[in-house]
Amino acid sequence: MLRTLRINARLFLEGALLSYVALFRWLRPMTYLASKIMMPLASILFFTYLGTYATSAGNASFYVIGNAIQIASVSGIYGVTMSIGGDRWEGTLVYLFGTPANRLAMFVGRAFFHVLDGILGVLIGLGWGVFLLGLDLSQTDFPALLITILATTFSTSGLGLLLGCVSLVSLDTMFVNNLAYFALLIFSGANIPVTTLPGWMAAISWAMPLTRGIAASRGLIAGESLATVAPLIVGEVAVGAVYILLGYVLFRWFEFQARRRGTLEAF
Amino acid sequence: MTLSAFRQDLRVLFLTFEITLKMIAVDSFVLFGILIQPLIIAVLAIWMLTPKDPTQAIFVVIGSGMTGLWSTLLFIGGNSITRERWTGTLESLVAQPTPLSYVIFGKNLASVLQSLLSMLASYALAALLFDLELRIVQPLPFAVSIVLTVFSFVCFGLILAPVFLLNPAVQQWQNAMEFPVYILAGFLFPIALLPGWTTPFSYLLAPYWAARALHATANGSATPQELALSWGMMALFGTLYLVFSRYLLRVILRKARADATLGLE
Repeated sequence: MLRTLRINARLFLEGALLSYVALFRWLRPMTYLASKIMMPLASILFFTYLGTYATSAGNASFYVIGNAIQIASVSGIYGVTMSIGGDRWEGTLVYLFGTPANRLAMFVGRAFFHVLDGILGVLIGLGWGVFLLGLDLSQTDFPALLITILATTFSTSGLGLLLGCVSLVSLDTMFVNNLAYFALLIFSGANIPVTTLPGWMAAISWAMPLTRGIAASRGLIAGESLATVAPLIVGEVAVGAVYILLGYVLFRWFEFQARRRGTLEAF
Repeated sequence: MTLSAFRQDLRVLFLTFEITLKMIAVDSFVLFGILIQPLIIAVLAIWMLTPKDPTQAIFVVIGSGMTGLWSTLLFIGGNSITRERWTGTLESLVAQPTPLSYVIFGKNLASVLQSLLSMLASYALAALLFDLELRIVQPLPFAVSIVLTVFSFVCFGLILAPVFLLNPAVQQWQNAMEFPVYILAGFLFPIALLPGWTTPFSYLLAPYWAARALHATANGSATPQELALSWGMMALFGTLYLVFSRYLLRVILRKARADATLGLE
């Protein structure tokens, strides 16, 4: 029992590290700077200026916080999806399915470093907000905010794991990823208050990751306590867990179908 | 150049245009950039801007359509030579007698014209789904502005493609270059909101003058002086891009032949 646990833990950590390194094998500091720091900055600036033009300069923090937390979805969706789908594109999927390795450890491990990377991305985004757009963090409970960011990157990575499985059966991975990322811009409450959305759209919002994380972050930065926003954080983790579960079921189904039909490497 | 050679070059340009049009019409990545992304930005902008002022609807339609134009040019036009390198057809293109610039022009023209669909899609979305009143107040100047916009965007693409090919480090910034132009060109909000030091950068971008002309002709605020300035700047920048791209392409071809690296990353 203990040995199995040890093996699975090793599989989880080594798989997590190797898939992250493999994904960014081409990575140079300049590439990271462009895609993980400058691109999110430009996105925060665009939506904050659009938002303040639409409302007033006094609402800047609403858009800064929303779009900084939204950065979690860059790692969560694109990073995780490419880590999962990469096994198919690089031809390593057949070897993975040939091993007796614990599938859950292998599957969830793909998201681990992207959760950490996502936290860093959100912190950088909030830093941009403070330095460039006057975001005031003086009332913030920082440990609680960190917990909220962790919960949010966890849930967006859950969505990434589910979309990653779609990339195992679809050739239009980037289309699906882009659609999910841009849909979150509408539904997550980053730019449009969820309360102003029609009922059916609000229902979709609350079923998606990010929505509760953004709401909790706004509350904490405005001076609310951890206890007040705890239900939102718990809800965010629960949403993430549901997406991971759905993704894992799809992953196992795909493995079963691929073995049965002999389509493991079919494109 | 003889008239017959010029006719042959034009034939290559139009064939490239036709083939590119067919290829990108079924490319899901391109379709996302042309239709879905501008529509999502339009929905966001309509939701954010029109409750305060419903007359902003046409501003949103044009602005979100222009985001589609720029994104398509950046990702499709910018990669127009690099893509040939990836597919192993660059050597054949370079070896044929028609200058490479005609081929890139044809490709960019196809992607820019197709991305005008994003403006039509945003128009339909705002009119049908959001039931907003949309009217182009100065239709003829608006049409001329569209023609000049297409010209200046296509010529801008002629610069992007060789720059991305010459320097892969610049291409790594492709994703990061999308939103800054949305901001600096004033597609969806006036550049007056930005810090003053950014204004000269806006003035150097043909998309800024395009957005200025299209917004002004749509809402009817375009004076003859305003039109002359915007149209003149688009024509000027388009021509400058055209001239500079010829130089860049010469550098690329000389370098590639001397180093024998034409097909190499």
